[in-house]
Amino acid sequence: MVAGGLDPSVNVMTDTTMDYLAIVRAALAEAVGIDEDEVKPTSTIVGDLEAESIDLLDALFRIERLAGVKIQATEITDLLLGELSAEEFEGPDGMVTDAGLDQLQRVLPQIDKHEFRGKLAADDVMSLLTVEDLASMVARRLAAADAG
Amino acid sequence: MLAETIHNAGSRVLIGADLVSVDRVASVLAAQPDLAREVFTGRELRYAAARRRGNEHLAARFAAKEAVFKALGTGLSRGMRWRDVEVVNAANGKPRLLLAGRADLIAERAGVWSAQISLSHAAGFALAFAALECSAEGRPDSSR
Repeated sequence: MVAGGLDPSVNVMTDTTMDYLAIVRAALAEAVGIDEDEVKPTSTIVGDLEAESIDLLDALFRIERLAGVKIQATEITDLLLGELSAEEFEGPDGMVTDAGLDQLQRVLPQIDKHEFRGKLAADDVMSLLTVEDLASMVARRLAAADAG
Repeated sequence: MLAETIHNAGSRVLIGADLVSVDRVASVLAAQPDLAREVFTGRELRYAAARRRGNEHLAARFAAKEAVFKALGTGLSRGMRWRDVEVVNAANGKPRLLLAGRADLIAERAGVWSAQISLSHAAGFALAFAALECSAEGRPDSSR
């Protein structure tokens, strides 16, 4: 549908994102077993959609088939951490560090890092991931693949 | 589904449980063969392949990994990999946990010195219950 030919210099939040969003919504709806209308861009995948791990694995497979881009479940963690090591991302108290929050703000633009400073447990990070965030990850992954 | 801590006389036990549909796991794995190699170790795959109800064994091992993640309080947010948690079987058939990579590192930091797993599968569902015993002194050398 949108595989291939994406100019990596193009802002992935342009109208091509709509295609990725449609793909991700369809994949999540099928995987979780709900109506696509219930999968809103701002829905959190774990919280609002109540997706279990097996549902997420299923959805990522469906995304691969539809978009031609493979994202493994564990890669979502890597994308969230960016260049930070796990130790740089999470402090000894289990909370996301300031550097970790800066990184999260980049990949989860809807969050307010100031609001979470010192209050966000690393265990809760996955619960912040929205449908739109996953669509953006798919777009970035495809852009990176094309650039490489 | 469940992750709690039991405190007892200076030591504590981290517990986690998970319940999965055997058909759900089997259908996702059947549609995506590469996924099985991402989630399970070669030893786990060979164990299940050699058994008549292999899908039930794989589903139980999937639940076991989730149960351990929950007990450690990590989900996948601390760089854990599915294959960091492996279920192996003793000669008497009793399942045993082997932790590696980030899972082992996080467990060591939590003072886990013993990791127990109990598995069950029936009526289309597989259940796993993990109990990780911790002590303030941490893990004795080669105790697990």
